[in-house]
Amino acid sequence: MAAAAATPTVFLLMVNGQIESAQFPEFDELYCKYCFAYGHDWAPTTGLEEGISQITSKNRDAQQALVWNFPIDITFKSTNPSGWPQIVVSVYGPDLFGNDVVRGYGAVHVPFTPGSHRRTIPMFVPESTSKLQKITSWLMGRHPEFTDPKVVAQGEGREGK
Amino acid sequence: MNSLLLQTRNSRIAMKMRGVCLPPVPSTSRTSFAEFSVRERMREKLKAARVRIFFFMQSEDESRQMQEDESQMSSRVKFRDSVKKLKQKSHVQTDFPSAEEAYNFFTFNFDLEPENMKDETKSKKKSESNQEEEEGKEQESIDEEDCLVNDREDLFIMDQMACDFLVVKPADYKSYSERLQKEREILFTPSILTVPMSQKVPENMQPRYLEDEGLYTGERPIVSLSNQNILENRMLRQEQGKRWFGDDGKLLALPSPIKQSSTRPPIFSLEEGIEPELETLYRKAMKPMHANQYIVGSGDPQGQFQLDIDISGLIFTHHPCFSREHVLAAKLAQLYDQYLARRQQNLTKLLTDKLHALRNAVQSSLDNSGTNFKFIHIYIYRQTRRLRDAEQEKDRTLLKTIIKVWKEMKSLRDFQKFTNTPMKLYLRKEEVDQRSDKKIYEAEIQAEINELLEEYMEEYEKKMEEYKTELQEWKSWKKAQKTKKKKKIKQSQDQEEEEAENSEYGEEPVKPIPPKLADSLEVEQQVREKAINIRRKPGEPVLIPELSLTESVTPNDLCPRAEVLRREDVKKRSVFLKILFNTKEVSRTITRQISSDFRVHFGQIFNLKIFNWPESLKLQIYETVGFSSTNLLAEMFIPVPETTVLTGRARTEEIEFSSNQRVMLDHEGVGSGVPFSFEADGSNKITLMTSGKVSNSVSWAIGENGVPLIPLVSQQKTGIPSALKNIDAVASIGTSGLTDMKKLAKWAAETKLDPNDPKNADLMQLIMVATSGDACVPGFFRLEQLQQEFNFALDEELNRSKRFQLLQLRHREVAEFRNYKQVPLLEREITEKLFENYEKRLHERDVIDSKDHLDAHRALVAKYLQKVRESVINRFLTAKHHFLLSDLVNEEEVPSLGNLGLSLFKLAEPKRPLKPRRKERKKVTAQKLSDGDINLLVNIIRAYDIPVRKPVLSKLQQPSRSSRSFNEMFAASPSPQSPTHSIDWTFNQVLVHPFVEVSFQRTVCRTTTAEGPNPNWNEELELPFRAPNGDYSTTSLQSVKDEVFINIFDEVLYDVLEDDCERGSGIHTRIERHWLGSVRIPFSTIYFQTRIDGTFKIDIPPVLLGYSKEKNLGNERGYDSVRSPSEGSYITVFITIEPQLIPGDPVREKLYYLLKFDTQEDEKLLQAAEKYQAECALKFPSRQCLTTVVDINGKTVFITRYIKPLNPPQELLNGHPNNSQAAAELVARYVSLIPFLPDSVSFAGICDLWSTSDQFLDLLAGDEEEHAVLLCNYFLSMGKKAWLIIGNSIPEGTTAYVLTWEQNQYVIWNPSNGRCYGQFDTFCPLQSVGCLISFDNIWFNIQQYDSPVRINFDISKPKFWKSFFSQSLPYPGLSSVQPEELIYQHIDKAAALELQGRIEKILKEKIMEWRPRHLTRWNRYCTSTLRHFLPLLEQFQGKAVEEDHQAELQKQLGDYRVSGFPIHMPFSEVKPLIEAVHSTGVHTIDVSNAEFALAVYVHAYPKNVLSVWIYIASLVRNR
Repeated sequence: MAAAAATPTVFLLMVNGQIESAQFPEFDELYCKYCFAYGHDWAPTTGLEEGISQITSKNRDAQQALVWNFPIDITFKSTNPSGWPQIVVSVYGPDLFGNDVVRGYGAVHVPFTPGSHRRTIPMFVPESTSKLQKITSWLMGRHPEFTDPKVVAQGEGREGK
Repeated sequence: MNSLLLQTRNSRIAMKMRGVCLPPVPSTSRTSFAEFSVRERMREKLKAARVRIFFFMQSEDESRQMQEDESQMSSRVKFRDSVKKLKQKSHVQTDFPSAEEAYNFFTFNFDLEPENMKDETKSKKKSESNQEEEEGKEQESIDEEDCLVNDREDLFIMDQMACDFLVVKPADYKSYSERLQKEREILFTPSILTVPMSQKVPENMQPRYLEDEGLYTGERPIVSLSNQNILENRMLRQEQGKRWFGDDGKLLALPSPIKQSSTRPPIFSLEEGIEPELETLYRKAMKPMHANQYIVGSGDPQGQFQLDIDISGLIFTHHPCFSREHVLAAKLAQLYDQYLARRQQNLTKLLTDKLHALRNAVQSSLDNSGTNFKFIHIYIYRQTRRLRDAEQEKDRTLLKTIIKVWKEMKSLRDFQKFTNTPMKLYLRKEEVDQRSDKKIYEAEIQAEINELLEEYMEEYEKKMEEYKTELQEWKSWKKAQKTKKKKKIKQSQDQEEEEAENSEYGEEPVKPIPPKLADSLEVEQQVREKAINIRRKPGEPVLIPELSLTESVTPNDLCPRAEVLRREDVKKRSVFLKILFNTKEVSRTITRQISSDFRVHFGQIFNLKIFNWPESLKLQIYETVGFSSTNLLAEMFIPVPETTVLTGRARTEEIEFSSNQRVMLDHEGVGSGVPFSFEADGSNKITLMTSGKVSNSVSWAIGENGVPLIPLVSQQKTGIPSALKNIDAVASIGTSGLTDMKKLAKWAAETKLDPNDPKNADLMQLIMVATSGDACVPGFFRLEQLQQEFNFALDEELNRSKRFQLLQLRHREVAEFRNYKQVPLLEREITEKLFENYEKRLHERDVIDSKDHLDAHRALVAKYLQKVRESVINRFLTAKHHFLLSDLVNEEEVPSLGNLGLSLFKLAEPKRPLKPRRKERKKVTAQKLSDGDINLLVNIIRAYDIPVRKPVLSKLQQPSRSSRSFNEMFAASPSPQSPTHSIDWTFNQVLVHPFVEVSFQRTVCRTTTAEGPNPNWNEELELPFRAPNGDYSTTSLQSVKDEVFINIFDEVLYDVLEDDCERGSGIHTRIERHWLGSVRIPFSTIYFQTRIDGTFKIDIPPVLLGYSKEKNLGNERGYDSVRSPSEGSYITVFITIEPQLIPGDPVREKLYYLLKFDTQEDEKLLQAAEKYQAECALKFPSRQCLTTVVDINGKTVFITRYIKPLNPPQELLNGHPNNSQAAAELVARYVSLIPFLPDSVSFAGICDLWSTSDQFLDLLAGDEEEHAVLLCNYFLSMGKKAWLIIGNSIPEGTTAYVLTWEQNQYVIWNPSNGRCYGQFDTFCPLQSVGCLISFDNIWFNIQQYDSPVRINFDISKPKFWKSFFSQSLPYPGLSSVQPEELIYQHIDKAAALELQGRIEKILKEKIMEWRPRHLTRWNRYCTSTLRHFLPLLEQFQGKAVEEDHQAELQKQLGDYRVSGFPIHMPFSEVKPLIEAVHSTGVHTIDVSNAEFALAVYVHAYPKNVLSVWIYIASLVRNR
């Protein structure tokens, strides 16, 4: 739908940074995908809305960090702070049989204040609904996944019962 | 001995060590350490060390003397030797330390004490010269070195035995009694005995029990008596211990804070047995009868109460910045005000007048009436006179004071040589006529004198009486005296003389004095004196003081410095007022500077919209000095106005305030609370406090319509205001909703509420009012009383904001704004246009637009449907936000064991098999799509039995009837067709060149042209799909209403060569296309079915001019013979969407889940239904099984309730009284004429809503199941055996058909077009049968096959059909939801006729519109002919008329080439009609001389069911 005015007033949000590293003590050889989840009033103007990183191996030091240093550079325009962009990061890696399996989902709001910020995103994956499911999913290499990684950036359908 | 010594030494070591450990004492040199370089520091340290060592050695010699006496150990000697050596070396004084020195420096543990060191260095220098001094010093150093030595020594003593260090002693023990003794000396143990009362109260006082006096004393916390006694005893021992005790001799204590009942709700854990009365029960929510029940009052929205507070100004009567002149001026002003007030009252005049009147009255009463009156009059008269005199005196003194103050002020001004205040007092003299004035004055005085004399006379008389009696007494007494004291007669005579001299005092113990008669002169004197004092002198001009503000204030530059400072200070000061409502600040005035006359004008009116009852109104005056902080000057309470005080009538009142602040100023300002004086010598000091007046008025506002905005309760004027206040107070204390006052009072009585407890004061008052019976309690309670305070903007403001509105609408997912992107940031960027559509829709909702609908009833229905749809969509939207786990998480199903094995087996499969299996296409989630991503694939395979062209000039034939009657169909075997066709027909047959054109969303694709009546195209057409508004969400896709039109045309080549001679050289033909028929498939069907694959009957008009559809009996090939029993043409197509879209089935389930609870069915029945369905689904997951459906209100209803015999319209039955078959056909046709409106389109595929038959007939729209239910009900009423079939058909998908048992065979009826099929009809569109439903049972198909051809419809066999109600669950006799009877309106022929005319007009206009570049000519003759045919077509239901008709047309329009056809449709709206006409493409003919004919016929059936026939034809003149 076309905007109401010829030159609508917008504000810009420029994001650049990088996905530096991750801590996945149990896994190795991971890569990550990122994308942005934002509200109706937001639109990316330049830059990449999603990306997929290289595969990285664990550091050999005690920290055992997985370093990607994967750059992010995107500019949004918006008319409404509601629906502030969130960066959604999902991390994948091979399981024992070499299947690509999701190792974590996480989301964090793009910082609200200008300046350099460092964010640590806790990552999580959905659990199998039952023990049996767990075993089979492990065997088949088909772990439960979100239908859309952006689910983690939304509240809908995740209300507690 | 030795050991003892060692012990002391040890302890010394410890001490020394401790000393070392202590942080060094900071000293002067130490503090400057930082300034020294490291080297310097070293050097200094070294020096110190050297000195120390020197002394150490020196003293060593002496100490040795002492120590040598004692037996020494070899080790010590050894050490000494080494020390000695050290000493010798240290004598060599060099600037740089030797290695040893350095070693010692670093190893020795010196305590650097610079002060000491200095002394020591000094002493060292002097040591040689001054021996004595050295000795004194020595003492010190001995001590020190002693320690040092000991230190050294003991550190080196290694070879001593452990036992040398130990002393064994018995443990210290004190006996218990001893210890007690000691403790008793130190400790004080208060006794536990009760303290006598006398000790606790102040001396000579009786304890006072407040409670007995009726005062409230709270309940004391419980403390055990012994503890209390202990505490009291303890307290008494303390100084001023008695102040801990109250008047009643008890320790002071706050009331017990413990509440009687727990305020926290008790926690019930589920594990424990819940008491039955506390168990929660589920109750269905009841719909409230009146939706607006909760709105407080009807026309009385909240917030209509308003207090207007007008703050006009502030005047300081004293301020610290007042100069002396100001003080006087203020005083003067005050006095003047007083004067003015007095003058306004004019008491003197009033009293004088009264006096005159009374005087007259007295005179008259003296003349005629009795004494009683006279006395009263006189009494009143005198009273009045006295009052008047007092008043006059006051007036006089006031005037005098005013003049005096003014004089003082003048002198002050003279003295200080400047003027501060514009105050100026004029004394206006009012000259009076001297003579008359004097006369009045004299008369007045005379009158007064007379009156006074009279008074005195009266008094005298009275006294005289007294005197006489007293005299009698005295005389008797005197007589007695005389006998005793005769000699003293002379004396008594003297006494008499004395008496005469004495004044009125007659109470002499001696002889009473006769009262003196008042002397008139004396009285006159007295009166005159008084008159001079209190009255104006005769002839003296009347002085009227007038205060004006005309004096010019001396400008700053002429004032002394102190005064300038004062003025500057005043300028810096400003004042503002805060208004506190119920102790909450509600607003404040603007900050105003204090003017030089100490008046502040605000002139502000504050409108307080109030919710809570005004408890208090308070003003706070704040003063700001310069830029420093504000300080509270004073607070004052304003009374809450009476309910009668309304704005406009309220008087401005002045409220005084004063502050006790002490301010001393260093300039001319006199300060506050500080004594000052006007005199030069400082005597006669006065102290003034800051004070002033605020003029304000508070009133209740009046609303726009003149209604005062006073809280309702107070308007009713029941009870006293304070009580009313408390009614609301109940709400405020949290027991809101307590409306039963009687109960409350009872409760209060039961709980023994302390009436004196301040906490309960409100409640008690309320109860008192309540029990008195005339209180009115508001019938509401407020949920969020404070909500208003947190609102950042007014609701109106928010509503006015277009941006906010837009955001709201988008949030509500209103269709127009559902996916609106980028709501503009600024209000002005939002154009009105945005809302136009929405507002139009809102507007139209109520306005019935008959333009589109041509029929008021249908318009109404459309509106109603729209509303139902909206409500369903709203429901759906809520359901959409309700996610299931599967919506969020993709999880592999647990494979069954077999599956697992299979998958294991798969591992061994070759990666690229030679014969690849067909794989399911990957499904695409809808939201990721955009325009152009989706295509509709239509594969046109072949068609059968396409009508063929008739040779134009062929002789008329008499073919057999193209379709058979109902009877014929049920004949046991089809009768062999009579071979009426001549053989040459087969050969003469003109070929047809059919092609297929598929149009979807106005995109048109066509196939190539094939040949013959059974063409084979096998072509794939790809049509782009565009979702509305680019919204590819499931909802949006489900609501796509577009249809796929598959039109079959015949391509005809016409030779248009005018001249035969050109034939040899060129070909000039024109291609025309003739519409033959169409198939329409809604997109929603494709979307839900994901693919459509089958053979469909082509919708061919009953009459196709120029074409005939003959049975090709001459063509006896096997295929055709199989098909021969059927009629019509068929086309095989395959349609799908690429990529495959996931249909929104989960939504359906979810909604079902949501709706499940909303039902009136029995819980058990529902459970059984669920179980039944689950069992069925387990066995045959693909077969439809329906037990419960959702009715139009969104409630779940058991399906059998829909089946009930219902009467069809009588007119239909009357048509064929003897022929039940024909009647049945007619009824089926009637049902099919009710417009078809699929739920999946109107309700966005959410769920099937089943309306009852009467609703269906009222709405005149519904989908398969409504049609089926109605038809089934009609059949039942007609005495047939009928069931509802739930199954799958082409192209509808899941659908409902009707099954009847007729003449020993099952007949399947398609309710949406009224056609019937035998069970074994291969062209029956019904593909599978899921279940059968009758009015009392449901049977699920558990046979191997579900195709109707292959199944057994005998429901009595449980092997084939699983019934819902069985022996285990008998049919409970469910009542039907259908009405008792259907009522039909009569046919409205006039309306039908009118509609007919309008449709015709509209269609003609449309056709002309579609041909913008051509002239559209209408052939009237043809039109009238066609119009003539249409009723016939209706009568025969499109059958059996073709040939006659065609012949006739041919006859009439012999020289025209006519191509055209009638279209038959049920009527719902005009739009589908237009669409249908457009799709035939008749208008596309572009022969220049083409003419058109169009006729419309509307046939009305009962209940406004309309059948529309449109006959459209194009005519081209033959040459």
